Amino acid sequence: MSDEVIRTEDLTKHFGAVQAVEGLDLSIRRGEVFGYLGPNGAGKTTTIRLLLDFLRPTRGRSVVLGGSGADPAVRRRIGYLPGDLRLDPVYRGADVFEFFGALRGGTEKGWVDSLLQRFELDPGRPVGELSTGNRRKVGLVQAFMSRPELLLLDEPTSGLDPLLQHEFNALVREVSAEGATVLLSSHVLPEVEALADRVGIVRQGRLVAVAGVEELRRGARQRLDFHVAGEVDEADLARFRGAPDVVEVSTSPGVVQVVVEGSADGAVKAAASMEVVRIVSHESDLEDVFLRFYT
Amino acid sequence: MIVAARLVRDRRRSVLWWMVGIVALVLFTVSLYPSLKGEESLNEVIEQMPEAIRSMFGLDTAIPLTSAPGYLQGRLFGSLLPLLLIVFGVGLGARAIAGAEQEGTLELLLANPVTRRTVVLERYLAMVGMLAALAAVFAVALLVLGAPFGALEDVPMTGLAGAVGGVFGIALLHATVAFGVGAATGRRAWALSSATVLAVAGYLFQGLLNLTDALRPIRFVLPWHWYLGRNMLAQGVAPDAIIVPLVLSAVIFAGGAAAFLRRDLR
Repeated sequence: MSDEVIRTEDLTKHFGAVQAVEGLDLSIRRGEVFGYLGPNGAGKTTTIRLLLDFLRPTRGRSVVLGGSGADPAVRRRIGYLPGDLRLDPVYRGADVFEFFGALRGGTEKGWVDSLLQRFELDPGRPVGELSTGNRRKVGLVQAFMSRPELLLLDEPTSGLDPLLQHEFNALVREVSAEGATVLLSSHVLPEVEALADRVGIVRQGRLVAVAGVEELRRGARQRLDFHVAGEVDEADLARFRGAPDVVEVSTSPGVVQVVVEGSADGAVKAAASMEVVRIVSHESDLEDVFLRFYT
Repeated sequence: MIVAARLVRDRRRSVLWWMVGIVALVLFTVSLYPSLKGEESLNEVIEQMPEAIRSMFGLDTAIPLTSAPGYLQGRLFGSLLPLLLIVFGVGLGARAIAGAEQEGTLELLLANPVTRRTVVLERYLAMVGMLAALAAVFAVALLVLGAPFGALEDVPMTGLAGAVGGVFGIALLHATVAFGVGAATGRRAWALSSATVLAVAGYLFQGLLNLTDALRPIRFVLPWHWYLGRNMLAQGVAPDAIIVPLVLSAVIFAGGAAAFLRRDLR
């Protein structure tokens, strides 16, 4: 059996003048959790829809589980959670699981029940009456319920509260430990860095980098604001500027704003001689985090 | 047939209400027949109508409205019945692929181990089945409810079967246009409007046919002409009025399905 679960060669999709995906060469190995990271509109969803044969490539090709995403035998082994999940509002959760379960040749009741329990989902209520988060859970359960070898999860945790996000992470680790391969798309780093072994960064339809999570973390930028008591003088700023991994220093009254690339250790030590009241770390967008890959 | 069975199950409540409505229409119509039966004056009124108006309602001076075949043709087969079946069928047809696609539910269905071919075929068969069931309920209702009111006098069973086949044919043709256009484009509005335009324009043309000879050459391409051109209850079965729409439907379905297999989902 091939060790490669997803392989794309020069995969390209244009919508008129829009180059949604351009020359994508991707290789995802069996058993890995692959983070597919990029800002909204970068082509993540288009890539997944190409893999499932919802879209036909303008150029290039993709091989999924050794075959085509159009082949029912291949699809049987794939679990899919769309980014924009739409379910017939009159269906109860149970209808979804029963219908898709039948199409997949049956599911293990014990496993489905355990998923429902995990996510605390009542399968008896019509989907139309559920909150966004609960609807998302129906999507997650249907994606995992046939114990697929490959999971294509498009922005899986958007709309989930932190507790469920935690439960979701645990579930992904579990199925991954059992050998499943997971493609996880997201537009924010923290969502994938907790789970992914490798991360591919996509921008304007092009894969700009593939790196291990450790490597990414080392290269990631973060902004730290040190709120201090008392005046900030030139000597303080000079100390920050001289600290390792610090790439930018600016100041406003009572605050030192620092951008570090990699470890925050140097900046923290530079601040040690001041009276630090509060440290604020900003959730920055990907473009800032991965300036390195984007320029 | 999991996909087809599920679609029927999803629509079962709506289909049941349509059936109730059709039975009520039949009951209402046949129960009025006895009061009309002897009214010779009505025939005179009809004879004075312009030919175009008469033909629009499927009336024929040779078959008086006061006879059962004339009455049933004028009140049911030539007016409300095809209209209702077309509305029902077009609604189903437009929703089956294009509607589901625009609601976003088709994509998740296709993430399961089913091919597009299976989905488009099973959903079409489900639509045909539901339309046929409604037509069958109508036929049974007419047989059961018509006799006590004398509304089936001089109506041969073959003629009745032919007329039901004809109305099913014209409804299926319009439903298939909605289904096919929807499958080919993924747009529900296009599916609905193409079938509606075909129905309304065809009906108007059929009415105009008798006003001007200039239009006569095109009558052979008008589905309404095939259907309304002859009162099968009185004049016997016209096989082409049944077979032509069925064959044409098969062709349109095949075209729509082929386009659906090739294109991107929206």
